[in-house]
Amino acid sequence: MWRLVREALAVTAKDLKAEFRTRVALNSLGLFALTTLAAVSYTIGPYRLHEDDRPFLLSTLLWIVLFFASMAGLDRSFVKEEESHTAPLLRLSAAPHAVWLGKLLYNVVLLAMLMTVLVPLYGVLMGFRPQLMVSFVAILALGGFALAATTTIVAAIISRAMTRGALFSVLSLPLLLPLLIFVIQGTTGSVTGDTETVSNALRAVASFGGIMTVVSALLFPAVWND
Amino acid sequence: MKIGDILKWILLVWMVAVIVASFFYVHPAEGFIGESSRIVFFHVPTAWVSVLAFLISCITSVMYLRRRDPIDDVRASVSAGLGLLFCFLATVTGAVFARIMWNAYWNWDPRQTSITILLLIYAAYFALRGAIADPERRATLSAVYAILAFVTVPFLVFVVPRIYWSLHPDTIINTRGANEFDSRYTQVLMASLAGFTGLFVWLYTVGSRVEAIRLRRRQEVL
Repeated sequence: MWRLVREALAVTAKDLKAEFRTRVALNSLGLFALTTLAAVSYTIGPYRLHEDDRPFLLSTLLWIVLFFASMAGLDRSFVKEEESHTAPLLRLSAAPHAVWLGKLLYNVVLLAMLMTVLVPLYGVLMGFRPQLMVSFVAILALGGFALAATTTIVAAIISRAMTRGALFSVLSLPLLLPLLIFVIQGTTGSVTGDTETVSNALRAVASFGGIMTVVSALLFPAVWND
Repeated sequence: MKIGDILKWILLVWMVAVIVASFFYVHPAEGFIGESSRIVFFHVPTAWVSVLAFLISCITSVMYLRRRDPIDDVRASVSAGLGLLFCFLATVTGAVFARIMWNAYWNWDPRQTSITILLLIYAAYFALRGAIADPERRATLSAVYAILAFVTVPFLVFVVPRIYWSLHPDTIINTRGANEFDSRYTQVLMASLAGFTGLFVWLYTVGSRVEAIRLRRRQEVL
């Protein structure tokens, strides 16, 4: 098992090193998120929403920005391997589960970096202040992990298809819609201070993430070894 | 006459009987506007058949990944297509009922939301199939996606609509374990369920046979 973890961390390190050379995914993620945030902040800003509407509208907009930024950048982990023809070498170098885990961790790191920049900026520009800060961070963490788990397996699937870019969004978004509903509810709850909503949402997000992780771990070798 | 032909004729007579019974044998139920309660004999079976079809698609996909027989891929895609069709019918019948009962075809009620997500997920299955040229790769990747998609079905069909308060009438599988219908309703509903399942089995069998023939002809040409 430790060998699997070591191989996975090696795959993650390789991907992160390659990513920092070209910064393609980071630029896609970051610029999409910042541009969307700028547009939202300019048109809505901290004053234009009615006080009662602010919790759920601001939560919805935050997660929409995060989700669509993920669609812009999280497929790079596998598409890059196919485009640069390094996939066969990776198949020879590492076990399939190590590749899957490594790519999953890479997506988690990318998403964590995006959230670290975007969420405080969103708070500043939109006047977004959750009352239950710990719960909000927990939702970000669990929701981000579930998002990364789903997008990793879908990226693996579409990297072997022809029309990759559009297909990634088409396949991921329907699968991610239940998650989107849960995280928006949880974030709204953390803004209003409703602990029951937050705990229900956290349970739902954790189970969704858990199921997706287990199923994609089981299915990944079939996709990778094809 | 082969057994298949006899069964087809029985199915025809059965479905005609179900349709006639749903309009003349049962009386409109209490708590529903006008005759709208009769829609249960068409809405519930189509929803049930779509879940059954998606389950068969998942099972045949697992079988394909295990034994790599192209016929399993054929069965998976036929079943997913029929599931999508019956899911669409369930959505439409539900929307008609919603218009009669609550004056709006669509209001993003939790059940309407979750069935829309289900439609999108399986429409994406066919988008994926269209995007891959190589038959074996197409079969493998769509089998993986069909399994992933079915993992979300229990969530969307059974869990999400029960977490949130919904206008949807109490379902047969409910927390009290009670059957609210009178006996005539139950009889016709069970008969309709059997009829629609028979209809699905027939469509699935014919569809699989046609696609299998197409597959064989393509292989012969090659």
